[in-house]
Amino acid sequence: MDSAMPQPKGRTLFEIENLRKDYPMGEVTVHALRGVSLQIYSGEFLVILGPSGSGKSTLLNIIGGLDAPSGGRVRFKGQNLTTYNDAQRTQYRRRNIGFVFQFYNLMPNLTAEENVELATEIAPDPMPAREALGLVGLQERRTHFPSQLSGGEQQRVAIARAVAKRPEVLLCDEPTGALDISTGKLVLRVLADINKRLGATLIIITHNAVIGEMADRVVRMADGTARDIIVHATRRSVEELQW
Amino acid sequence: MVIGVLHRKLLRTIFRSWGQSLAVIAVVVCGSACYITIYSAYLNLRLTRDTYYAQCHFADFEIMLERAPAAAVFKIAEIPGVRHARARIVRDVNVDIEGVDEPRIGRIVSMPNPRAPVLHDIVVTEGRYFEPGAQSEVIVNDRFAEANGLQLGDRIHVSMEDKKYPLRIVGLGLSAEYVYMIRNVQELVPSPERFGILWVPTDFAETALDMRAACNNILGDVDRPEELDLILDQAEKLLKPFGVFAKVKREDQISNRFLSDEIHGLGVSARIIPTLFLGVAALILLVLLNRMVRMERTQIGLLKAYGYSDWTVAFHYVEYALILAVAGCLGGFALGARLSVGILRLYVDFYQFPLLEFRVYPDVLTWAMGLSIGFAVAGATFAAVRAARIHPAESMRPEAPRFAHRIWLERFPRLWRAVGFTWKMILRNIGRNAFRASLNIFGVAVSTGLLIMGFFTMDAMYYGMEYQFNEVQREDVKISFQGERGRDALYDMQRFRHVRYAEPLLEYPFEVRAGWRKKDIIVIGLPQEAQLLKLMTFRRGEISIPERGVILGDYLAGELGVVPGDRILMKPLMGRVTREREVVVHGITEQFLGTTAYMDLHALSRILDEPFAMNAALLRIEKGAEQAVNRAFKDIAGIASVGFREKAYQSLLDTLAESMRIMNVTLLAFAGVIAFSIIYNVTSVSLAERQRELASLRVLGFTAGETGSILYYENFLLGVIGMAFGIPVGMFLSRLLVRAYESDLYRLPFHIDQTTYVISIALTTGFVALANWAVRRKIHGLDLVEVLKERE
Repeated sequence: MDSAMPQPKGRTLFEIENLRKDYPMGEVTVHALRGVSLQIYSGEFLVILGPSGSGKSTLLNIIGGLDAPSGGRVRFKGQNLTTYNDAQRTQYRRRNIGFVFQFYNLMPNLTAEENVELATEIAPDPMPAREALGLVGLQERRTHFPSQLSGGEQQRVAIARAVAKRPEVLLCDEPTGALDISTGKLVLRVLADINKRLGATLIIITHNAVIGEMADRVVRMADGTARDIIVHATRRSVEELQW
Repeated sequence: MVIGVLHRKLLRTIFRSWGQSLAVIAVVVCGSACYITIYSAYLNLRLTRDTYYAQCHFADFEIMLERAPAAAVFKIAEIPGVRHARARIVRDVNVDIEGVDEPRIGRIVSMPNPRAPVLHDIVVTEGRYFEPGAQSEVIVNDRFAEANGLQLGDRIHVSMEDKKYPLRIVGLGLSAEYVYMIRNVQELVPSPERFGILWVPTDFAETALDMRAACNNILGDVDRPEELDLILDQAEKLLKPFGVFAKVKREDQISNRFLSDEIHGLGVSARIIPTLFLGVAALILLVLLNRMVRMERTQIGLLKAYGYSDWTVAFHYVEYALILAVAGCLGGFALGARLSVGILRLYVDFYQFPLLEFRVYPDVLTWAMGLSIGFAVAGATFAAVRAARIHPAESMRPEAPRFAHRIWLERFPRLWRAVGFTWKMILRNIGRNAFRASLNIFGVAVSTGLLIMGFFTMDAMYYGMEYQFNEVQREDVKISFQGERGRDALYDMQRFRHVRYAEPLLEYPFEVRAGWRKKDIIVIGLPQEAQLLKLMTFRRGEISIPERGVILGDYLAGELGVVPGDRILMKPLMGRVTREREVVVHGITEQFLGTTAYMDLHALSRILDEPFAMNAALLRIEKGAEQAVNRAFKDIAGIASVGFREKAYQSLLDTLAESMRIMNVTLLAFAGVIAFSIIYNVTSVSLAERQRELASLRVLGFTAGETGSILYYENFLLGVIGMAFGIPVGMFLSRLLVRAYESDLYRLPFHIDQTTYVISIALTTGFVALANWAVRRKIHGLDLVEVLKERE
């Protein structure tokens, strides 16, 4: 492993400069991000690693347009995200971002296929919902409701939903956090596969260091700063990971 | 302090969800305020009536006669069971008041002089009773005096039997007999400036009305009211030779009838309206607390694991309901006090009491509190029991997810595929929470129904009056004579200046009988070609007067149980002719005021053994000649009264408009509170339960508006269904009202204007929109990051 030379995989997608986020909590202010600078490249698989409270979720939320920073700048393809208002952030999410959360956040009232269609309906250039479900290996179960699916299956539906709008970026917040090891591995394989086949930039945040071995680069966060960046010359496959 | 902490948790919950808490409180406020206002009004009015009746020695019966010797009263008093009897003279006369050109009618009522305790006694509120031997003194009904600017010492002139008599006002007074002071049923609402009571010494009445030692009105009271029918039959036999117009039991006495109907109506409303509100509050609490218990499952388990008893935990949720109920009821006390003042004002406008005190009884307040708490606790019980049943160990595991299932519509795949996501989610969600959806529909339906009922009362009254005053009555002036006249009287009328056209009328009291059913009514004789009084069928077709046979009002036909083609027996209640005649029922006319039958004038005259008789005339006069006509007629001997249709109509409209306005504003507020608080609460609960869903949509890139529309559309869909149900609910409530107010005196026509539906639906849509608007705040404030981090 070599941490000296970051090797860009594609062109720069995100330019993050001195990003800060403060949460005023009554009399004290929590500094969730204390000046993070980072470049994220198109098509890469990036893992952001850190213990809870390190600011990794905050970073992800700002990149994903769910939250606005207190200071610093985020450029997405040269556009300054930091100046976006709520409506613009909604449009930005709609066009560019696919989210996957620890808890799957599926609509309980919609079947697997309908959940995916939810995303395709508002995207400008979506893939057919069945194709997206095929990517995650769930074509057979498309008429099931979330409550009829296992946790792993639900997460795969969530991934299919995120992927179906062909987002440029796939943001995953502890996607395996609620799953057992074997199911978790399955989900990771699907994510890595999508990154490879569709070329979507994949950003996973996790506190599980093992997952980092699959990535092109790993950003280690602690105390609201990016401590170091590790670049892997070769990615390991899921099967090679030791939990 | 173990309980202390739970209390604090509770109070914070209440304050945090202040919108929902307030909405529940508002419903309880309405319920308890209604209860307090209506039930207090009921008690107060009943108490006032009973005290006042006792004070004035309200008579148990009244017999109206043509003319009887005053001594006849002794025969009545001798009937077993009769305690007292009183003879008096009652006659409506025209009153001249200086500076007033409009027609004023005074009812002369003779009173003993010197004063003695008598049946239907009066209360002198200002001034004094008559001096011994006084001839030209009068005690005037105080409302009439006030409306006409009359004061003690003023003089008025009354026209009696060809002469004008000056009378000096020595006192202002009231009588229990005229709490609701209307001249006859046709007037419906009092207009104290046009009609008042003039109490005069018996001596004066006898002289001026040419009734020496005679009377035309006998009052009596009895030992046992259940013997009244028997006693009245005996009295009728005794008085037969003197022409009995009508025998009136206390319960049928006009003023008492209106007042007692009102009191009865209040008693019924006091039960129904608060129940409706408090029931709604209970249902909302049911939904709110169920949601709360489900959400706090883990916390409940934890409390129990720490050693809190099931009972303590269950009570915690009951307490929530309790606090809202008590807060609501206290608000109800305040609102109730205000509304009571309003209702008092309304009653003072319509009823005349010497003293109408509006007390709020401690008992009523206690009951209001008890009822509010009772309903709230009932609403909370289900959730409380659920909380008590939660097992600590189980509670730490998430509750088994509720299965989403396909709904009925999905059996039609082609149809279902055409449905968008928003609607798929909405429809499945309705299917999943059927109870909540029904509650929503219920709230909208009740609100729509209440509005329809409220506007219906207005529609019905205007419709009924329009019918009566424009369709049926078409005269400009009605002249009533004292006693019957021949054809000459009609020619006299036609010769008057300003009179363009005149028609004769004969109004005569009869007893009509069909089998065992009988009724005392007025039969009206009119010419076959009558232009100024038209009879109508339900389809608004005119009915021509048949040469033979009688046309009955619809209510009368119902009471007698006859249809066209049947035969009825008619017997005059006064005059020489006493034999019964059989007459064919020729037709039925729609009738909202009074209970009458109609016949050809000549046929009716023949029944009375006369070739032609009339005792009233209907006139059409030149435009703008009303005052001239009034002046010309009011002093003519033998004319009992002069009535102007347009004026009567206007004054009725004015009086009703005001009271309708008050009633409708109140109703609007109530309907709004019900619709708003049900929809707002149900939606809030739904939102809380689905915030993760909604936040996910926001993350996917749906805008706040698009996300909210799921809830808004659901509410509007349920709203539309609710309104569809609301229409029959409104019709049902209106029918109930028609049924409740049906009497010999008047009926409400079941007529609902199209605009009533439109306005009611528009208003309810407004309430739904308002509730959506209130929820909107919560959707926009949804913290995406926080919501999605939470565990499912």
